[in-house]
Amino acid sequence: MHPAIQGLLTIAFGVGGCVGYFYFSNLVLDRVIFPARGAHIARNIRRANMIRPWLFLLPALLALGLYLAYPVVETLRLSVTERVPGGGSEFVGLANYQQMLAEAKFWEALQNNFLWLLVVPAASTAFGLLAAQLTDRLVWGNIAKSLIFMPMAISFVGAAVIWKLVYDARPEGTDQIGVLNALYIYFGGDGPMRWLTIPFWNSFFLMMVLIWIQTGFAMVILSAALRGIPEETVEAAIVDGAGPFQIFFKIKVPQIMDTIVVVWTTITIVVLKVFDIVFAMTNGQWETQVLANYMYDKLFRANDWGVGSASAMVIMLLVLPILVWNVYNARREMR
Amino acid sequence: MNMIAGEKPALIWALRLSVVLLVGLWLFPTLGLLVSSFRTSDQIATSGWWRAMFPSEQNLTLRTDPPSTQMQEGDLYVIEGRLFAEGTSSEISAWGTSAREPAAYEPGTSAELRRGGTLTVAADGTYRLESAEEISGKRGPRVFVTATVPPEFTLENYETVLISGNSTDNMAKAFFNTLTVTIPATIIPILVAAFAAYALAWMEFPGRALLVAAIVGLLVVPLQLALIPLLKFHNEIGIGKGYIGVWMAHTGFGLPLAIYLLRNYMVGIPRDIIENARVDGATDFMIFVRIILPLSFPALASFAIFQFLWTWNDLLVAMVFLIDATGETTVMTKQIVELLGTRGGNWEILATSAFVSIAVPLAVFFAMQKYLVRGLLAGSVK
Amino acid sequence: MKRSLLAAAGVFALSAGLAQAEGALTFPVGEGEFNWESFEALKATDLSGEQVTVFGPWLGPDQEVVEKVLAYFAEATGADVRYTGSDSFEQQIVVDAEAGSAPNVAVFPQPGLVSDMAARGFIAPLGSETADWVRENYAAGDSWVDLSTFTGPDGNDDVFGLFYKVDVKSLVWYVPETFEDFGYDIPRSMEELKTLTDQMVADGNTPWCIGLGSGGATGWPATDWVEDMMLRTQDPGVYDQWVSNEIPFTDPRVVNAIEEFGYFARNDDYVSGGAGAVASTDFRDSPKGLFASPPQCLMHRQASFIPAFFPEGTEVGLDADFFYFPAYAEKDLGSPVLGAGTLWSITNDSKGARALMEFLKSPIGHEVWMAQQGFLTPHKGVNTDLYATDTLKKMGEILLSADTFRFDASDLMPGGVGAGSFWTGMVGYAGGTPAEEVAAEIQSSWDALK
Repeated sequence: MHPAIQGLLTIAFGVGGCVGYFYFSNLVLDRVIFPARGAHIARNIRRANMIRPWLFLLPALLALGLYLAYPVVETLRLSVTERVPGGGSEFVGLANYQQMLAEAKFWEALQNNFLWLLVVPAASTAFGLLAAQLTDRLVWGNIAKSLIFMPMAISFVGAAVIWKLVYDARPEGTDQIGVLNALYIYFGGDGPMRWLTIPFWNSFFLMMVLIWIQTGFAMVILSAALRGIPEETVEAAIVDGAGPFQIFFKIKVPQIMDTIVVVWTTITIVVLKVFDIVFAMTNGQWETQVLANYMYDKLFRANDWGVGSASAMVIMLLVLPILVWNVYNARREMR
Repeated sequence: MNMIAGEKPALIWALRLSVVLLVGLWLFPTLGLLVSSFRTSDQIATSGWWRAMFPSEQNLTLRTDPPSTQMQEGDLYVIEGRLFAEGTSSEISAWGTSAREPAAYEPGTSAELRRGGTLTVAADGTYRLESAEEISGKRGPRVFVTATVPPEFTLENYETVLISGNSTDNMAKAFFNTLTVTIPATIIPILVAAFAAYALAWMEFPGRALLVAAIVGLLVVPLQLALIPLLKFHNEIGIGKGYIGVWMAHTGFGLPLAIYLLRNYMVGIPRDIIENARVDGATDFMIFVRIILPLSFPALASFAIFQFLWTWNDLLVAMVFLIDATGETTVMTKQIVELLGTRGGNWEILATSAFVSIAVPLAVFFAMQKYLVRGLLAGSVK
Repeated sequence: MKRSLLAAAGVFALSAGLAQAEGALTFPVGEGEFNWESFEALKATDLSGEQVTVFGPWLGPDQEVVEKVLAYFAEATGADVRYTGSDSFEQQIVVDAEAGSAPNVAVFPQPGLVSDMAARGFIAPLGSETADWVRENYAAGDSWVDLSTFTGPDGNDDVFGLFYKVDVKSLVWYVPETFEDFGYDIPRSMEELKTLTDQMVADGNTPWCIGLGSGGATGWPATDWVEDMMLRTQDPGVYDQWVSNEIPFTDPRVVNAIEEFGYFARNDDYVSGGAGAVASTDFRDSPKGLFASPPQCLMHRQASFIPAFFPEGTEVGLDADFFYFPAYAEKDLGSPVLGAGTLWSITNDSKGARALMEFLKSPIGHEVWMAQQGFLTPHKGVNTDLYATDTLKKMGEILLSADTFRFDASDLMPGGVGAGSFWTGMVGYAGGTPAEEVAAEIQSSWDALK
């Protein structure tokens, strides 16, 4: 069978099964279990409505529970156990955590993660806001926007190749093929720099890749928020003789603060999971290690599930503040 | 009226300039990749891609034709020919016969070879090697040339990546496999998430706030954690490695964001519409299908694009849940990574394969970005 | 004929056959000096309709060759053989085995990983008859048996794989014509090599190309350097103690070997691009400097597989050649050879997997690969005239005539060290971290492994 036909069949089967569930389960609920007719019509409708939310939620809860919640619990369990040769595992308490805290690589990863958390969301949001404001009233603003947004569509593997070309270094005396080195030497730098191997600074070169990818996302959302600002407030400010910068910072930014925060947290979550970029470009060498990559190393290279899981728990711990804040917001909305 | 710039033309110009600068900065890296994918490896290695339009000076190591082609002219043994391939118009500025001094001679001059005989190389690459003795050896002597090579663009890299050898079937196969993974892995989470988001937005039931919080929490779970436990689970229930497994995995990993986005959007739908429908006796299911789904279309479309890009570009999930030892179910990203692995030093192949992998997402993105933007806004701007 | 994708296309005389239609056997049965009786003997097993999956680390040119070799097995038994390669084989096989979706046969480049997995019961033991067969038929058979014997989940020792395809690592590649141009001679001892290195610098050249980059495995080329230096500065016995961690990484003898590597790699004048370039240059990219104009370097220490990454059309033996990475004349340690090999293990037992093991024991299974490229074997029952090139034959001789043959240490160490901290440690060392510090870090990671 031709792979295309095979693919189509599997697609039809998968999607069909999913649509079928929702349709028929509702049908069964409304027609068979609690039919909206006969003697107990009101009670039946009420009961059906009690059950319906869970009908709606069931597949989602199953998938979430199995694919995300269960691994978290499993990870927690693994992080306090140690595998013994020949299968099985034993409880070791916090030994894995102690071992992890004693490793220099872990602290390096933690430090770098904090750097990433400080720089990437801030830079992406700032660039996004700048781009949104600048392209706001331009005739070709939309084209500019889509070009800035484009990196979102590029896979991390592709992005890694793109930026490796930017950072490439050739031996001294030969023509540089990496843009950055070519510029550096053109402006009087002494010899090519191997950007990705300069400790501390190289993390910033990796961050640049993620900023490049995330800016478009920030820009799109912020630009819509800017459009949502009532014209009157701005006009009033102009009448009062405010300059363009004052208008931007004193009038516009405060009004879209909520959106800025949403963008910020979304990018923060992306940053905490950052793995592909570091994995593809430096693999955590030259002091660029980050937690997600450290975890991957421990799980799949050193085969040390205990410490790997322990480092995963640290990632979970770092997102707690965001989680708490989000929950607080969600509750505020509910009221 | 121009909001920001008021009446100052200087500022307007500054504004335009900075937009151009910003766009240039964001486009530049990708452009480099695109240009590089049309160049030969020699060109990439010797000059930056931004100089692709200009002739470049390259140092090449070439050879004369092998001694088997020598002719006798009187009592001389002669090999004649041209160092460059037919149809190329390279210009030699200096040449040499020893690695010691690769640029020792001017074009048109003659040099004594270490093994006897004299070699004359002209600026256009034609040469004449004369020797009183018969020239021996398997290969002609090396000639080092410094040549100005005209700019040249080639489709050969694309041929190598897409058409040559047995990678053809693989690339075609990988393309269909990727589609097979991507389409259900995009649609299924949307369906599941839309129902769940509706329940969380408009249905009253105990524990709703808690569920919303939990889903937000699950947004941050790194999926590397889930790989081994879930693959074990798949094997236990008998689906092993295959499409069903990879769809389920993508559904699970994509759900939190989908529910989060869609719920935020649905909450924003005016309450009156829904209340009115309820008064008219519509069931939740009808309200959902007839009112909510059409109204949430932008959000659905935007998540669809997100999820499509994500599943198309994914490598890790596919490697763990799909690609088995038979190699029948390989995907595009995996093919690209394999090319990277085998051709680690070949920029032209790297650039081309990377571009092949991002072509489809880019096309989808440019075709659909209107929806993407609309839905995103809805999910985050309240 | 389409342009072949192979970087190595022009390298080997016989590779002209590479672009032929798939499915056809490379060497027609019954022709040439092959051991066709052993091929006929394989036909006794009928595996029609049986699928045998093989998962290994090879991609690209190597993958094409291994598929051609396995085609003979398929031809003889009727089995449907599928080979898949992966760049991240080490991680992938662990995930698959843990989850119970392992291939029938896995090709491990690192015995250390087999040791881990055998202890957890993921690998089928091959039994004493395989051990006896290896002792009988392989040169230095005992050491091969030792290298493939591990402790199973029940605490008993057994043979868990068969070595098939061996690489020699103690080689230095160079371009003979460039050596002639400058009038350099092949060094016969480490002292001469160091003198030559200095001579090259004095002549205004860069002696070495060293590249440690290898994606997720960045750093491994440096471990080969250190192992070679270990064999050239200490007794083989010390080397064995180092492999089993009886002497720690922090032992002065080990630190000294690391510094011997640093003598070359951390000297800006000695390395193309300077010491800073060592860790970030891709190992596949690194030999290309030999062929640049003017040459960016004149020597490149790397294993026997590297010609696959030479520029297209390079003919080994003419355009490029190798010499043995020499030993110190004054230390009197003979000429030690460092090697490596792939261990073929059964990760999912089946009739087909067992039959494939038999194929790997048969002379024909070795000969059809010998006649292609990049394959050396310690099998004594094969016709060495079948080696595709004189170069391979020369390497095969180095392998069979070594005073001391030792297996790549990092491949024998536990995965977390040999494929983990040792790699990353060497990247740190190449970047300027002191050797003692690197050694201490590697040792502490070893201590942490229970």
